[in-house]
Amino acid sequence: MSQSSSSSDPIQRTRQVLGWIMLLLVPVYAWTVARAPIDAVQGVMQRILYVHPPLAYGAYLGFVATAIGGALFLWRGDERHDQLAIAGAEVGTLFCTLMLVTGPIWARGAWGPGNWWVWDARLTLTLLLWFVYLAYLLLRSFTEGDERTARFASIYGILGVLLIPLNYWILDLVGSAMHPDNIDFRGEDKSLGEGMGLPFLVGNLTLFFAFAYLLVLRWLVGVLRADKELQASVDR
Amino acid sequence: MNLARALLWKDLVSEWRSRDRLVAMVVFSFLVVVVFQFAWPKMRPEEMTRLAPGVLWVTYLFAAVIGLGRTFAMELENDAMTALALAPGTRGWIFLGKATATWILISAVQAITAFVFALFFRQDLWTGAAGIALVAGLANVAICSVGTLLSAMSVRSRFRDVLLPVLLIPTLIPVLAAATRATAGPLAGEAPPWAALQPLIVISGVYLVLCFLLFDFVLDE
Repeated sequence: MSQSSSSSDPIQRTRQVLGWIMLLLVPVYAWTVARAPIDAVQGVMQRILYVHPPLAYGAYLGFVATAIGGALFLWRGDERHDQLAIAGAEVGTLFCTLMLVTGPIWARGAWGPGNWWVWDARLTLTLLLWFVYLAYLLLRSFTEGDERTARFASIYGILGVLLIPLNYWILDLVGSAMHPDNIDFRGEDKSLGEGMGLPFLVGNLTLFFAFAYLLVLRWLVGVLRADKELQASVDR
Repeated sequence: MNLARALLWKDLVSEWRSRDRLVAMVVFSFLVVVVFQFAWPKMRPEEMTRLAPGVLWVTYLFAAVIGLGRTFAMELENDAMTALALAPGTRGWIFLGKATATWILISAVQAITAFVFALFFRQDLWTGAAGIALVAGLANVAICSVGTLLSAMSVRSRFRDVLLPVLLIPTLIPVLAAATRATAGPLAGEAPPWAALQPLIVISGVYLVLCFLLFDFVLDE
């Protein structure tokens, strides 16, 4: 077996396991959402709830993956860790973008025309996160030299993950809160209506695993590509 | 430590001799202040006082971006960047020397801008001068820390003039938010509110330490 295939084997296996989990979860997710009751006040628009909050896992965990990958790269100098950082940033950007798109669609539907945006604390935090992701990706594309790009991006990835708690703290001070603090499944005044808890729970699971699957898939692609380039340069 | 002192001295002397960055930043700050005058509607002095901290900090932030863009530009000449990378000792000291020189420069520009701002917009900055200086001094630690680190990175990238603000501004949003809130106190004749000063102290400290450590990876081997 060649060097290139052995270095990506554990990632390949993880991808397969996550793929099977996704295959099981997606139909259950679709079924529970389809069977969920229609909200008396918001109508079908309320179903964004089964997509919008669960996207947050990907948006935030993408950053964590980028920072961990970056820190490991700076420490060990292994390109595979840099590939993990890229995967975290790209998949995280996707989830963050979807989160920023689905939120305003719900707001427009629930609050009427013109109500696309409010400067709510969590919304603003996500927007800032999105800018950091974009800056990270721009930095990667504008820096020359593979090793230098990886190094600079790692530094920015670490700075970026640090910004999440800092911004959270600041926005608590500055912004107004519109999002509910925590979803309450139990008690008299639970925040989700009858029959809405299950699709929400399955939605959370599905999108968490969707993020994990895409992250590992992108990581695998990066590692295989890097291995191939290395092989080609050795052959030359 | 000697490395930091040597670089600080070198940067300050070369800035004093040319005064390029200082003049550019001061002129730019004046322009931004004047632009605001044309951009907003006619308003009463008390309304202006409410907007003043925001205007002041937006001006400070943009001027800082201009100045930080040049921090490492002169080191590109004669490949002085490589010489810096070869200097013995912890590279964090290079960062500290550069960041301190920029801190002094930015603080000087801010003091001049504040004077002009007070004059143009009839704001009393003098009563709360000590409070504003404290807030600016703290915020500048954060601005110069991240700015110096990112400037060393962006200076060796394509589109460096665009890249620096794109990288820098998102990281400085918490600083801008806290500094604006903290400046509102002194402008109204009160002390800077502790609730805004506290995050400013923490962010500045965290950024300073983190950038000192990360700078080790910025220079090429």
